[in-house]
Amino acid sequence: MSGGLPIPLVQCLQVVTIAGAAPGISGVISKVEARLQGRAGPRILQPYYDLGKLFRKEALAPRGSSWVFLAGPAVAMMCYLTVPLLIPVLTTFGLPLGYMGDILGGGFILSLASFVVALAALDTGSPYAQLGASRAKTFGAITEPVVLFVVFTVALVTGTDLPYALAATVRSSAGQIVRPAHLLAAAALFMVILYETGRIPVETHTGTNEFGMIEEARPFEHSGPYFALLKWGSAMKQLILYTILLNVFVAPWGLASTPDAGSVVLAIAALIGKAALLGVVVSVIDNSFAKLRLFKITEFVSAAFLLAVLGVFTLYLGGG
Amino acid sequence: MSGLLAATVAAPSALDGGANVVAVGVLLAEFGMFRQALIRDQVRLYAAQSALISVLAVVVAASRHLPDLYALAGLSFALKAVIVPVVLTRLLRRIGLTGSDPRWSDIAGTGALSLASTVLVAIAVAAFGFFTTARFGVRSPVLPATALAISMAVVLVSFVLMIVRRDVISQAIGFLSLENGISLTSLVVAAGLPLILEVAFLFDLLVVAVVFGLLIRVHHGSAESMSTADITSLRG
Repeated sequence: MSGGLPIPLVQCLQVVTIAGAAPGISGVISKVEARLQGRAGPRILQPYYDLGKLFRKEALAPRGSSWVFLAGPAVAMMCYLTVPLLIPVLTTFGLPLGYMGDILGGGFILSLASFVVALAALDTGSPYAQLGASRAKTFGAITEPVVLFVVFTVALVTGTDLPYALAATVRSSAGQIVRPAHLLAAAALFMVILYETGRIPVETHTGTNEFGMIEEARPFEHSGPYFALLKWGSAMKQLILYTILLNVFVAPWGLASTPDAGSVVLAIAALIGKAALLGVVVSVIDNSFAKLRLFKITEFVSAAFLLAVLGVFTLYLGGG
Repeated sequence: MSGLLAATVAAPSALDGGANVVAVGVLLAEFGMFRQALIRDQVRLYAAQSALISVLAVVVAASRHLPDLYALAGLSFALKAVIVPVVLTRLLRRIGLTGSDPRWSDIAGTGALSLASTVLVAIAVAAFGFFTTARFGVRSPVLPATALAISMAVVLVSFVLMIVRRDVISQAIGFLSLENGISLTSLVVAAGLPLILEVAFLFDLLVVAVVFGLLIRVHHGSAESMSTADITSLRG
């Protein structure tokens, strides 16, 4: 352990990596998506330029909105900066603050962020922002059981619900990867992530059709730095969820096992590479399926619920 | 249950895990049949499910050194994944049921419940199958007990499919996939069953497929629809 980076620095690097790489991953996804559609597409760095431009613009608030409208983006951003402390972003060993909360704790903080954004949207009085907030909360309520069952699966597999423990279990043997409970839970979580990040088949990510919007409609009234915080926040939420899927469930390899500078840098590169690869998969899905009608989203969620519940069932007989 | 929650569940061996994954795939295909909207896709999903059972038979044959099972897997693939789907599709095409005309090829929306509710009901029924099978305490030398529980779930869920869907195609496919569930059960509890018995079952299935095809044609000829809901009007 000697000779490496100080542990608090590694801890900070987890947050900096997520915050810094998140817009880039969004850029990769929109670039790949455009290429698959035969368009040139925006630069991969475009989201950074967008954020820079928005931070320089003036901020306007609708008449009659209260402090909730302005506090929402900042509180949401704080939540997104907290979660990377709890999950294995760069290291296989738990960092000091990593045991502050388990998967459920991280989930609560992410829900808090989504809740304050919804409050800010409700505060505007704009019908579309309110529509988005109301839909996000309605469908959020039905994806929640799926997440709970995924956590139950993790708890049954590892005896704890710490993300570090599951990642270590998955790394331990090949038998842990092909067991049905693990595959089912990972698939269910992936479907929840498609929902949470507002991707096809739930929502068109880049569209102007307000009637189909869920997540995208919420920041309609925000402008300038506040809008930038919301955009950056949703990119960070996307990368956080990708990190949970990759570093806990699907591919917990390439993480640093010592606080050595070289291996930490390698872990940052590995995370960005894996997230970009997952982004490519997501954009292929984006281009291969049609958006579901709003009332068909329950069918999508029921499929995810089925996978998560079957994961717990198979564990019950010891065969999962 | 509390004892279960306290302890972690150790991973099965990679082979058992893989076999369980294939068995779960069979169950998921059964659930997928609730979602299919076209006759053609429903038949294809049945073929895919049958192919998965053959894969499982090959896995068992290779791992437990039961050469008979290779023959069974090959025959079951040829009959259930190729011949039965082809026979069914032919019979349906002759009355124009699988053409491009959505009036005849569309079986979506024939369920008595919405899709999400159907899936929830089927999950509850599958849970019943799972947990009752656990009480049997059946242990098999060739496949893990989970595969047996899954096969029970497949059988019960196919009943839900037959009950909930009102079109004759889904009911026929539900019956055929019920047989898939039973094949899965027989793989778990009686992998060493004499080959001649299994082959007899498989040819029975071919007869069933032809009979169903004819029944569907007769029904379509008399009711001019595929829905069994129209039959209720015959009651006096």
